[in-house]
Amino acid sequence: MLCEAGEQVNPAIILAEELMRKDITGGMDYADIEQAEKTLLLARDEIEKVERHFAQIVKTPPQPGGLIPAGF
Amino acid sequence: MTLAVEKKRSIDWNARRMPFGERLHQAIEYLAFKSVNANASRACETIEKIVSEQKKFQFFRQFFPEEWKNSKASFFKRGYYQNYSERLNEFFQLVNEKMFPLFAGWDDPDMEFEHFYIFSLNLDLCCEDIEYENLRVSFALGLLFLFRDEEIWEFFENNYQIKRQDFPEIDESPHENLWHLKETGKVEIYRNLFEIVDHSTGNVWLDTVNCRDYTCFEWTEDNIILLAENYREATALLDQTAKIDELFAESPRAVLLDLISLWNAGELPEKTERLAAIRQ
Repeated sequence: MLCEAGEQVNPAIILAEELMRKDITGGMDYADIEQAEKTLLLARDEIEKVERHFAQIVKTPPQPGGLIPAGF
Repeated sequence: MTLAVEKKRSIDWNARRMPFGERLHQAIEYLAFKSVNANASRACETIEKIVSEQKKFQFFRQFFPEEWKNSKASFFKRGYYQNYSERLNEFFQLVNEKMFPLFAGWDDPDMEFEHFYIFSLNLDLCCEDIEYENLRVSFALGLLFLFRDEEIWEFFENNYQIKRQDFPEIDESPHENLWHLKETGKVEIYRNLFEIVDHSTGNVWLDTVNCRDYTCFEWTEDNIILLAENYREATALLDQTAKIDELFAESPRAVLLDLISLWNAGELPEKTERLAAIRQ
């Protein structure tokens, strides 16, 4: 499951950094706000997915493996 | 190297930059964000906060364009309500002053206004300990029909020498015709009083009861307009009931007879009946 998981940074982390650095005192327009809301949905979805996978991993009994994935 | 530093320090006088204080507050906000923004959940919260702020800025521009243009309030420095910038505090203040009483009952600086409740302008009949002496007399009159409490009659007898036995018995429920009468003059004012006391005006500021049936509002254009319009209507309705106080001061018996007649028969009493009531 871990090996198959895609590698990416959660989009919320990138967007939050971007918004905090950006000068938005002039105001974001409707399209920007809509885009941010869409990104939020994706980000929340990914968080839920990770939590679901984590819960499954916790439930799975440990098994000896012949192949150790890189990074472990 | 020296040249590069000098170049960096040179000032572009035409550039429109934020004042130093504002940039400083932005930097502090950013540092606070960097110190806690360790994971995706935190990042989502940050975005939600920014989006929610931006939506309120849009409402600020939409409903108070002049004030927005002239505002010098900071976008970053915290205001009296500490969860919000000075600019949003200004927006809340304007809503409170010009649209509806947003702050009524909410003085705590830690208050969150993401979802907000409103305080009813009407009487809380279920929990408030009602002292008839402290009520407007029009409300006490209305309560005669709703509560049928002997104490209210005692209040009228002691203060206005009005005795229950001098008037027809008040029916348990109003005459059907009451709701079909043309809403003009006295009929309109009296009917409004019945509806206000019964909390059935259809107006959120008058029908909400503070101890239950809380209605929670979000910052949407529809809600802002609804609350502002309803507030205007509610204050107008309450002002109208003040006219009943004036009429009652002039001729208490006639007003009570009007109300009972409307309630029981769905019409105002005949002139002769009214005159007889006044003479008693």
